Amino acid sequence: MTNQHPPSSTSPDHPVRLVRTFPRFSVSQRSEHAVFLLCIAILLLTGLPQKFNTSTWSQAIISSPARLNLFQQIHHITALVLSALVLYHLGKAIYLIARRKLPGDMLPTFQDVKDAWNMLLYLIFIKKQKPAFGKFNFEQKVTYWFLFFSVGIMIVSGFIMWFPDVVTRLLPGGVIPGAIMAHSTEAIVTTIFVILWHFYHVHLERLNLSIFSGWLNEEDMHSYHSLEYDQLIHKANTDQDPGEIKS
Amino acid sequence: MLKSSFTKKMPGIFLLVGLFVLLSLVWVSPSQASEPKQQTEEYCLSCHSNPDLSLTLPSGETLSLYVNSDELQTSVHSPNGIECEACHTNITTYPHPAINYQNKRELTRVYYTACQKCHPDNYSRTQDSMHDQVAEAGNLNAPVCTDCHGSHYIHPPSEPRTLIPETCGNCHIQEFSIYQASVHGNALIQESNPDVPVCTTCHGVHNIHDPRTQQFRVLEPDLCASCHANQEMMAKYGLSADVYSLYSLSWHGVDVSVYQARWPTIQHTSAVCTDCHGIHDILKPDDPSSSVNPKNLLVTCQKCHPGVSSNWTGAWTGHYKVSLQRTPILFYVDSFYSIFTPAILWICGIYVALQFIRFMVDRVRRSL
Repeated sequence: MTNQHPPSSTSPDHPVRLVRTFPRFSVSQRSEHAVFLLCIAILLLTGLPQKFNTSTWSQAIISSPARLNLFQQIHHITALVLSALVLYHLGKAIYLIARRKLPGDMLPTFQDVKDAWNMLLYLIFIKKQKPAFGKFNFEQKVTYWFLFFSVGIMIVSGFIMWFPDVVTRLLPGGVIPGAIMAHSTEAIVTTIFVILWHFYHVHLERLNLSIFSGWLNEEDMHSYHSLEYDQLIHKANTDQDPGEIKS
Repeated sequence: MLKSSFTKKMPGIFLLVGLFVLLSLVWVSPSQASEPKQQTEEYCLSCHSNPDLSLTLPSGETLSLYVNSDELQTSVHSPNGIECEACHTNITTYPHPAINYQNKRELTRVYYTACQKCHPDNYSRTQDSMHDQVAEAGNLNAPVCTDCHGSHYIHPPSEPRTLIPETCGNCHIQEFSIYQASVHGNALIQESNPDVPVCTTCHGVHNIHDPRTQQFRVLEPDLCASCHANQEMMAKYGLSADVYSLYSLSWHGVDVSVYQARWPTIQHTSAVCTDCHGIHDILKPDDPSSSVNPKNLLVTCQKCHPGVSSNWTGAWTGHYKVSLQRTPILFYVDSFYSIFTPAILWICGIYVALQFIRFMVDRVRRSL
């Protein structure tokens, strides 16, 4: 389960230090994140000027009806890409569930509630130790599930706004103003969430680029995912050299 | 011979004039002195009070030259000392100079220019108007001052107020009859309502512009709002004064306000008040033939949204505030986000702040 990278084999003076890396995200997951990030960025860049159409910065960007039309087209195309991504993600999950291969480490458990409570006690200086986390801590699960439902709301409300005449053949007309309000407000809530919560955790708390590189180093694994780390080390030891334990 | 006899009489004339001036100084009190004296009117009326006085123009039209003395006295001009020659500038004596107008219309279109002597502002306003544009394009029936105000018998044009639509209705016959049946026109005619708009309220007075332009359309919600956003006036009739502000929040209203502020001349299709409520034919929404009556609303929506189903009308929040009764879905969405948005902001903010504080404290402790 672990890879070993000799970082500097060219300098013979120093003893070769082995840096263990732990795979965290598959190529598929990393690509999903990259496409998702790109989609969200484009959707916000083309959506926010439309929402805040009375502000001067928006008027500078959307300077003509033709530009507005272009923004809407980009927004729509990106929305289709994002929808395809969500379908791929859900399809993969369903496939894995059907084969009983879904890892399930992103699913919320009661342990997460306990972790969150203990983390809060730690943050207000009642506990001395942070709770030990597995592969995904409760913060990361909150990030995933918040965005999961947020994107769900954005896609559903977005398609209602895009095809209101089709939607009202089946649903009451009241869903249209509801969708307009939900789409517009949810976008703001999501932006606040991503900037405050996600950016803090992956940029300020520590620079965590594992979603791009695919791996975490041993130090980060040890301090942020100790349960997973222990499990992997134990498993690696038992896998590699089963005789050692006996001796 | 004539000249010599005239010079002989000169001293006598001077005496007479001098005596007249002296007498007028003695007899005329200050209040009378401020009133200009009628001089030519009586002289002109000595012939023009004859109802049969007329002449035939080259076009074959008979031009009546009769002026009703009694009516003339009720006009705004005559009692204020504005006399015949003030407007009939080319006629100073009898016999008059020859008239060389082909027809009555030509005569009118020349004589009305006299109005600008005293009313230059309103006169120049009319030159910016739709009526003037139409005249320049060749329609000589386009109205000039006298067509609306009259010529010899000019009265305040808005007394009574019902006179205004009647005046416009002389030419705009169809619009006038539609207006009379509308909620506005009906209230004007039946109750002499002082608040309902007459033609000039919306179209302006002298500088009437083409109401079919994009500029007129984009400013149209503001025009309706000048009465319908007036709390005091709307309260009198039990109407909501929030219709405009709520419209401004709607999909249509947001779109229109963007175009109004930034691209007023560019064609857009978002609905303004008149697209749904009608123009001259506006009726109360509970009137069964109103275009916004629930029975007719779908047809009205389909003017712009062809083929939409009957559920579609539910998408329109109808100038009402968000409420559980009228717009339940919107109400729940609104309630959800009014809690959810600040909750997310605070939870994330506080959690991250706590984490940051703990992180810094740990760091400082380790370095000590």
